[in-house]
Amino acid sequence: MAESSEGEEEGKLVGGNQQLVVDDDLCEMAKKAAWSVSSCKPGNGVLSLRDDNLDTYWQSDGAQPHLVNIQFQKKVKLQLVVLYVDFKLDESYTPSKISIRAGDGFHNLKEIKAIELVKPAGWVYISLSGNDPRETFVNTFMLQIAILSNHLNGRDTHVRQIKVYGPRPNPIPHQAFQFTSREFITYSTVR
Amino acid sequence: MEAILTECAQNSLRHFMYRNAIFMCERLCAEFPSETNSQLLAVCYLQNNQAYSAYHILKGNHMAHSRYLFAQSCFKMDLLNEAEAALCPPNESSAEIPNGAAGHYLLGLIYRCTDRRKSAIYHFNQALSLDPLLWAAYEELCILGAAEEAATVFGDAASLCIQKQHLPHGLGSKSMQASAEDQGLISSRNVGAEDLSPRHLKNIHGNSQRDAAGNYHSAPQPGGTGSQPLNGGPTTLSFYSTPSPMAAASQLSGVAPPPICRNMQINGPNSCATGADSSPRSTVNSTIQAPRRKFVDEGKLRKVSGRLFADSAPRRSIRLATGDSVANTNSNVSTVSGNGTNHSSKYLGGSKIATGSVRPVTGRKGQSWSNENFDEGIKHDGYDDSRNSSTTCSSPSSESRSLDQEGPTSAAGVCLSGSRVAVGASDLLALLRILGEGYRLSCGYRCQDALDVYVKLPQKQYNTGWVLSQVGKAYFEMVDYVEADHAFNLARLASPYSLEGMDVYSTVLYHLKEDMKLSYLAQELISTDRLAPQSWCAMGNCYSLQKDHETALKNFQRAVQLDSRFAYAHTLCGHEYVALEDFENGIKSYQSALRVDTRHYNAWYGLGMVYLRQEKFEFSEHHFRMAFQINPRSSVIMSYLGTALHALKRNKEALEIMEKAIMADKKNPLPLYQKANILVTVENFDGALEVLEELKEYAPRESSVYALMGRIYKRRDMYDKAMLHFGLALDMKPSATDVATIKAAIEKLHVPDEIEDNL
Repeated sequence: MAESSEGEEEGKLVGGNQQLVVDDDLCEMAKKAAWSVSSCKPGNGVLSLRDDNLDTYWQSDGAQPHLVNIQFQKKVKLQLVVLYVDFKLDESYTPSKISIRAGDGFHNLKEIKAIELVKPAGWVYISLSGNDPRETFVNTFMLQIAILSNHLNGRDTHVRQIKVYGPRPNPIPHQAFQFTSREFITYSTVR
Repeated sequence: MEAILTECAQNSLRHFMYRNAIFMCERLCAEFPSETNSQLLAVCYLQNNQAYSAYHILKGNHMAHSRYLFAQSCFKMDLLNEAEAALCPPNESSAEIPNGAAGHYLLGLIYRCTDRRKSAIYHFNQALSLDPLLWAAYEELCILGAAEEAATVFGDAASLCIQKQHLPHGLGSKSMQASAEDQGLISSRNVGAEDLSPRHLKNIHGNSQRDAAGNYHSAPQPGGTGSQPLNGGPTTLSFYSTPSPMAAASQLSGVAPPPICRNMQINGPNSCATGADSSPRSTVNSTIQAPRRKFVDEGKLRKVSGRLFADSAPRRSIRLATGDSVANTNSNVSTVSGNGTNHSSKYLGGSKIATGSVRPVTGRKGQSWSNENFDEGIKHDGYDDSRNSSTTCSSPSSESRSLDQEGPTSAAGVCLSGSRVAVGASDLLALLRILGEGYRLSCGYRCQDALDVYVKLPQKQYNTGWVLSQVGKAYFEMVDYVEADHAFNLARLASPYSLEGMDVYSTVLYHLKEDMKLSYLAQELISTDRLAPQSWCAMGNCYSLQKDHETALKNFQRAVQLDSRFAYAHTLCGHEYVALEDFENGIKSYQSALRVDTRHYNAWYGLGMVYLRQEKFEFSEHHFRMAFQINPRSSVIMSYLGTALHALKRNKEALEIMEKAIMADKKNPLPLYQKANILVTVENFDGALEVLEELKEYAPRESSVYALMGRIYKRRDMYDKAMLHFGLALDMKPSATDVATIKAAIEKLHVPDEIEDNL
C-alpha cells in the first residue's frame, strides 16, 4: 500500500511523506461528493481542502471537535484517507487526535478509526481497513473526519489537503471478478 | 488580353502560385467580367483554401460548372443546404446534375452528411455508372454498407464506359478497324476531341478525392470548362486525342505553343487519327512518330503543329495546363523514346494507353497525361519505366526519319490504340475489382475474406500505405493485434506521411499495451500534421493507456474540434467519459459518433456498456444487438450481447449467443467464461466446471477462473477444492477488491452452515 512511517505505538502516526503515492488499483472517490466543514475562517474555507494546492489551507473557527463531512451520492467503498498537514508550518494548528466516522448520515455515524498524529510533516495515510479481510473496505454513504485536538493544545486547526481513496471499479460491468491475465484483458473490451 | 490573363492565371495555378493567380484573376474579372472568368477566380480561391471567397463570387451563378464550384465551396463551409440547392435546384427537378459523376458524388456526400442514406446511395451509384473510376464513390458506398460487389461495379460495363471515355468516338471500343481512313478517323477524332476535351476538363483542386478518379465528366460548357485549369485529370486525356492536349496546349499558351505540344498534337494524329485537318496530319504523322517521344525536332514540328494548333485551338474549350504539362510531356516524351526506336510497326500507343488508364488514379497531373499522349502509337515496352523516368531526349533526327516511315501506319495505329485502351481499362478495372472487393468486405467486417482478397494484389500494389492500412484494420477487427501491428508498421514504412488509418494503429498499440511505441507514434503524427484528427486520437490513446483519462479526453476533444465528421474521435471521447464515470457525457459522445456514421459499431458497443453498467439491461441488450448486426463476426460483441441477455434472465438465448461467440473466435476466452457464469446461474455446475477447466488450460494465470471455480465448489460443498482454488486465485494477484472478496469467501468456507451466501 501507500508508504507511511508508522509510529511504534498502536494508533500513532509519526512523520509524513512528501510524495503522495497511492496504489494503482485505488482511485479518488470524493470528487463528486459534497464536502462541508463545521466552521471556517473567511478565506480559508472548505475549497482549500480540495484545491490540490498545498499552500492554501482550511482554518477552523469554532469549538472543538472540528468536523469535515463528506457525503457521497451513493454507497461507496473506501479504503484510505490521506491528509496533508505540516507541524513546521502550522505548529499549534496542526491536528493531533483524529477520529474517522462513517455512517448513513449525521444521525448514525460510528467511529471506525482513531489515530493520533505526532509532529506530522507531509502526507499522512490513514487506512480504513480492519484486520479481517472482509473489512478491507468501508462501504458507506458518509464519512466524517473529526479533529479532536491539536498540537500544543491549539484551539483551531489547519488542514491543507484531504483525499479519499477507494478501489477502482471493475472496468467490465456486471462482472464478479476482475480479469488479471493478458488473454482475458485483450478480449474484454472493444475500443 | 483576356487570353493572356487567363493563361497566366492558369499557369500560376498549375505552379501553385496562388497569390499570383488570384491577383491576375481579379484583374481578369475586372476587365472582362464573365461567368467563365469568375469561375476561374473561384477555382483560384478554392485552391487557396478560401472557400468563403469562392462562395461569394459564385453565389447566384447558374452555369452548371459554376453551380458545381459553388456547391463545393458551400460544402467546405459546411453550408450543406445551399450546396444541395446548388447541385439540385428544388424547383427544377429535371435539371441535370452539373459535372456528371463529380456532381453526383458531391451530392451523395451531402446527403450522407445530412442523414439521407437512400438518396446518398442513389447518387453514389449514379456517379459510379457515369465514371467507373470514381473510387471515392465506391468507398462511400462501402461505408454506407450498400455497395455492390466489386466485380459488377468494376466489370465489363465499366470497361466499355472507360474505353468510350478514353477513345475518340470514331474509335469506340469495338470497332477499331483499320477500315477507317485517315480522313475518317480524323474527322471522328475531331469530334472525339471535342467531346473529350470537356471531359478532360479537370476540375477542381478543391476535390482532391475526385481528382483521384481522374476523369470527370463535365457538362460540355466551354465557358465553364475553359476556366478550369487542367490538373491531373488529363491522364485520361492522353489516350484519346492527341489533338486535344495539343489544342489545350495551344489555347493555354496562347501565343506560342510550346514545341512539345506540337509534338503531342502531331503524335496524336499519328496514333489516334485525330487532328484538325487531314493534310497536316498526314505530314505530321510522318514526321512525328518518333519525336512523339522526343518531340525534339521542333523546327519541322513547329510548322506542322502550328497548323494543327490552329485547328485544334478553337476546338479546345478547355484550357490545358500547358506550361507544366508541356514540360512534362517533354520529359515524358523523351522517356518514352527511351522505350525503343522501333516504332514503325508497333507503335501502338495502345499499350501506353493501357498504362494511361491505370494512371489516372494516381492523379498525376500534366506529367502523366503527357505521357499518355505520347504513348499513343508508341511502342511501349516497359512503359512503366519510361513513364516514370525522365530521360533526356535522344537525337531527334533519327526519330524524324523514322517518323516518315511510320506515316502510313498511323491508321493502323489508331485502331490498335483502341484495343490498347481496352486492355488498359481492363487492367485497371481488374486492380480496382480486387481493391473494391477487399474494401467492401472489410466494411462488412468479413475480415478474413477481405484479407484473402487483398493477398491477390500484385506485390507493388500490396506494399502501399493504403492497402497495408486496410490489412491492418482487418486484423484489428479480428482482434489479432499482433498481426495488425505488423501490417501497420509496414504501412508506416511504405508511406511515413500518411495519416490514414493511424488512429486505428494507435488503438492497436493501446490494446497491446505498448506505451513506448504508442507515444512514439503519437509524437510522429503530431509533428507530421497538427491539424489532423488522427494525430490527436493517437495522443489521447497514449494518455489513456497511462490511465490519465482527463488529458486523454482533452486530446480526443481536440480531435473532434478539428473534424467533427470523424466518428472515431467521438467514440473515443465517449470511452474516456465512461472511464471518468461521467456517463451522461459519454452517452452524448457515443450518440454524436452515431450521428456521423450509423455503422460505427464501436459507438453502439459503448452505449451498450454504459447501460450495462447502469443496469439498464434492456437498453444494453438493444445496443449490443445493433452492434452485432453491423459486425456479426465479432466475438467480443457477441459475448457482451450474451451477458446482457443473461442479465435479463434470458439464459437460453444467452447460451446460444455464447456458443456462437466461442465458435467465431477460438482465441477469445471471454465467451467461455461468460458461458460458465450462465451455467452457474442455471445451476449446471458440472457444465460450468468443465468449461472452466478448459479455460484453465488456455489462461492458467487468470485469477477470476479460479475464483469462480472456488465459488462453484463451495456451492457444491466441496470445501477442499474450493479452498484450493481460492488459494490459487489469490496467488494470481488479483485486484484489491477481489482479494477482499476471495478472502471473505475463504472465511465463510470455514463456516459451512452459514446460510448467508452472498458469494
